[in-house]
Amino acid sequence: MAVRQTELRPLGKSVGRKEDPRFIRGKGRYIDDIVLPGMLYMCLVRSPYAHARIKSIDTSEAMQAPGVKLVITGEDLAAMNLAWMPTMANDQQMVLATGKVLYQYQEVAAVIAETREQAVDAAQLVYVDYEPLPVVVDPFKALEPDAPILREDREQKSNLIFHWEAGDKEATEELFRNAPVVVKQDVRFPRVHPSPLEPCGCIADYNTATGKLTWYVTSQAPHAHRTVLSLVSGLPEHQIRVISPDVGGGFGNKVPVYPGYVCAVVASLKLGKPVKWIETRTENTTSTGFARDYHMTAEIAAEEDGRVLALRVKTIADHGAFDAAADPSKFPAGLFSIVTGSYNFKEAFVEVDGVYTNKAPGGVAYRCSFRVTEAAYLIERVMDVLARRVGVDPAELRKRNFIRKEQFPYKSPTGWTYDSGDYEKTLALALEKIGYEELRKEQAEKRARGELMGIGISTFTEVVGAGPSHTFDIMGIKMFDSAQIRVHPTGKVIARLGVRHQGQGHETTFAQIIAQELGLSTDDVIVEEGDTDTAPYGLGTYASRSTPTAGGAAALCARRIREKAKKIAAHLLEVGEEDVVFDGVAFSAKGLASRTVTMKDIAFAAYTNVPEGMEPGLEATYYYDPPNLTFPHGAYIAVVDIDKGTGAVKVRRFLAVDDCGTVINPMIVEGQVHGGLTEGFAIAFMQDIPFDEDGNCLATNWMDYLVPTALDTPKWETDRTVTPSPHHPIGAKGVGESPNVGSPAAFVNAVVDALAPLGVEHIDMPIFPWKVWKILREHGVTE
Amino acid sequence: MRTYQGDFVIDLPRQTVWEFVMDPQRMGPCVPDLLKLDVESETRFHTLVRVGVGPVRGKFNLTVEVTVTEPEESAELSVRGGGMGSRVDMKAKLTLSDTESGGTKLDWRCDAAISGPIASLGGRMIDNEARKITEKLFANLREALSSVSEQVAATSTETAEPESTD
Repeated sequence: MAVRQTELRPLGKSVGRKEDPRFIRGKGRYIDDIVLPGMLYMCLVRSPYAHARIKSIDTSEAMQAPGVKLVITGEDLAAMNLAWMPTMANDQQMVLATGKVLYQYQEVAAVIAETREQAVDAAQLVYVDYEPLPVVVDPFKALEPDAPILREDREQKSNLIFHWEAGDKEATEELFRNAPVVVKQDVRFPRVHPSPLEPCGCIADYNTATGKLTWYVTSQAPHAHRTVLSLVSGLPEHQIRVISPDVGGGFGNKVPVYPGYVCAVVASLKLGKPVKWIETRTENTTSTGFARDYHMTAEIAAEEDGRVLALRVKTIADHGAFDAAADPSKFPAGLFSIVTGSYNFKEAFVEVDGVYTNKAPGGVAYRCSFRVTEAAYLIERVMDVLARRVGVDPAELRKRNFIRKEQFPYKSPTGWTYDSGDYEKTLALALEKIGYEELRKEQAEKRARGELMGIGISTFTEVVGAGPSHTFDIMGIKMFDSAQIRVHPTGKVIARLGVRHQGQGHETTFAQIIAQELGLSTDDVIVEEGDTDTAPYGLGTYASRSTPTAGGAAALCARRIREKAKKIAAHLLEVGEEDVVFDGVAFSAKGLASRTVTMKDIAFAAYTNVPEGMEPGLEATYYYDPPNLTFPHGAYIAVVDIDKGTGAVKVRRFLAVDDCGTVINPMIVEGQVHGGLTEGFAIAFMQDIPFDEDGNCLATNWMDYLVPTALDTPKWETDRTVTPSPHHPIGAKGVGESPNVGSPAAFVNAVVDALAPLGVEHIDMPIFPWKVWKILREHGVTE
Repeated sequence: MRTYQGDFVIDLPRQTVWEFVMDPQRMGPCVPDLLKLDVESETRFHTLVRVGVGPVRGKFNLTVEVTVTEPEESAELSVRGGGMGSRVDMKAKLTLSDTESGGTKLDWRCDAAISGPIASLGGRMIDNEARKITEKLFANLREALSSVSEQVAATSTETAEPESTD
């Protein structure tokens, strides 16, 4: 249960969330709640075709429609040199289509009118003459030599975006040549969508008198968005203020810059009025950043007892029409090379081919640090394939292959240095807590009766805290993060951070870190984020980087203040600085516990009574460049029963044991785990964005793309171990994505385990009941 | 690309059926939910029809072009147009043949490329909807032709008794 805000030394306690009263009582302020005087509304005209040449666009009738102020086409943008914009993956993307369209629902024109309804109606009156072109939706076909070339703007006349490798090819081949056991499995991670409750949107407000653009936007990274906007528009950065208000869920979907944003800004610059653009659900699902869409093949070389030797992975990544993947620029396939997971492979070799197809662009880090989810799913799935082949229990196989506690810091064969971990302890706790032995006995009895029960294990390693500037950047900007803390005379604190939460509970979590470091309660600390005019420069909240980076910045920034506070305390206590001790609540003179001063006394003194020569005031800023990433891990176990009549899978139990290092607020961690598990469950059993051969997107809303309700969602059981990060200021690693990264494999492993007596080795997600039913029918289990 | 096809028999001579289906003024009103018909020429006309597939509801502007491949036997129709951000491109083929009983068999085949919200949002419902529209179209056609056959009967009576007219 939540504890009171006034608690001192709040770190590690379930302090009640500061943000809840406003969210629960409907007092949050989201983008569509903001109404500015004279505001206009924008609606986008989108392509019905997945691939077609644009012969002409007739906007004359739309311009005559009631209330219409402006219609923008790609040609208008081209005249302003804004028809194309850079993507985060060093590709370029059309803002409004010129020449041809490359995916269904691509942005073709923007209509701005006095009301939203007028804009929507007038958008119907923009006539576009299309000449349909051959469509490529299958990435494998896109790579065939006679495939139509989709990107005529690129120098390279091929649909291959990049080929990327990691690991030692020769050494891997060598181990494969001599290995007693080799298993191979094709695994597909479907195209899924983050589907935040609040879709994307913005209001661009250009003030013609001051020349300042205020841009309200649903952003996970306001500062990065400001820099990109400045680079694209030519407006100087200090004349752009980005405000990210309350954001109703991000999950990676609110990291990219979308064409609608640019159009709204152009419209406001042209009209000198605020222009609002809010997406519909269908627009969000069909045209903004999707996630995953990896076609993977993994091979493991192993000893006869299941001890792994080498891993070989080939992957085709479908990036859609533009490579707009959110990845640090050095890693074309993100952190996919973490695919050796928790296991002590001697060698590994990973290849990824990125491919253009006639689909919406993207590849966002949907509750996943840049392709770690795909990697974790692949290795956890294939470890089970190996377990079955060598006849070893999947839990035992994992134990045999874990990287040992004493091997940390561990250098992986693809070049990552894992900071810390204790995989055996975490798995042991999970097995004990779920009653693994008894479950296996129960399963054997059920099998004897012809019932289908499965147990699935996933012991994944996650990589978070994208930040180390030696390897990480977004469009060249180094991925540090920042905090600025200001202590007021009465000891009340306003802290501003460079990240931007979308429901993760930063206002409480960071307040706890700062309060802990300063000897205050979280009640004394207000955390503000999301306004580039007030917050220090930061790279935003995604990829579970907030606590590892901004959390580090907050702790170190508070320590800077504590250093000065200690000097003031010495002055007030009339002792030498070296004789002042801090116990987390107050400063006292060494050996004289009765003589104490609190942070409140010190804060007042900082503005009224500082030692001679000292600068008054009590504030600090810290830009934290972490020395390394952090590597949370976990052991997840799913128990499923399959209905033989319908093929429906019932998740009877699910246990998640996470290790995210130091826990700041257990209640918030548990909430994050519940949310991520629900998403992982949805991916495993409900979600996919398929396309027909004409490139029509077949999941465009929540009728076709299912989002689990409370009725669908299993009851989650959670527990944790704590292996602090050795390099993080408070030992925290980050947890938000772990459940989404680790759980899909546990679900699928459980279903495959249930179907194993039929000889099933793999089943691709999403595991719809009809898929299972078909398998049962093929094997004569059901009629 | 979706393909729909079928056939049905009309109890009228082939020439009568041919003349009917090749006349936009007579054939046009058989289109279900027709709101407006605008005949540009014998081989080209425009229609405004009401469309509703699942959540996609609105009006479609369609341009139909007719090409005769074999007079009184076969013709091709190209239907292009759309609305509400959706597009329809159809190629239809009609073939008429005599039946043993002196009637006409009409074979039809339609290849339709449907894009935009109507295909993606209404995708799962579209085949059923297409079947319903086709059934309605041919029901209308049958009804219209049966009135033609009455007219034909009437006309033949009239020709048989020319003196009865003034």
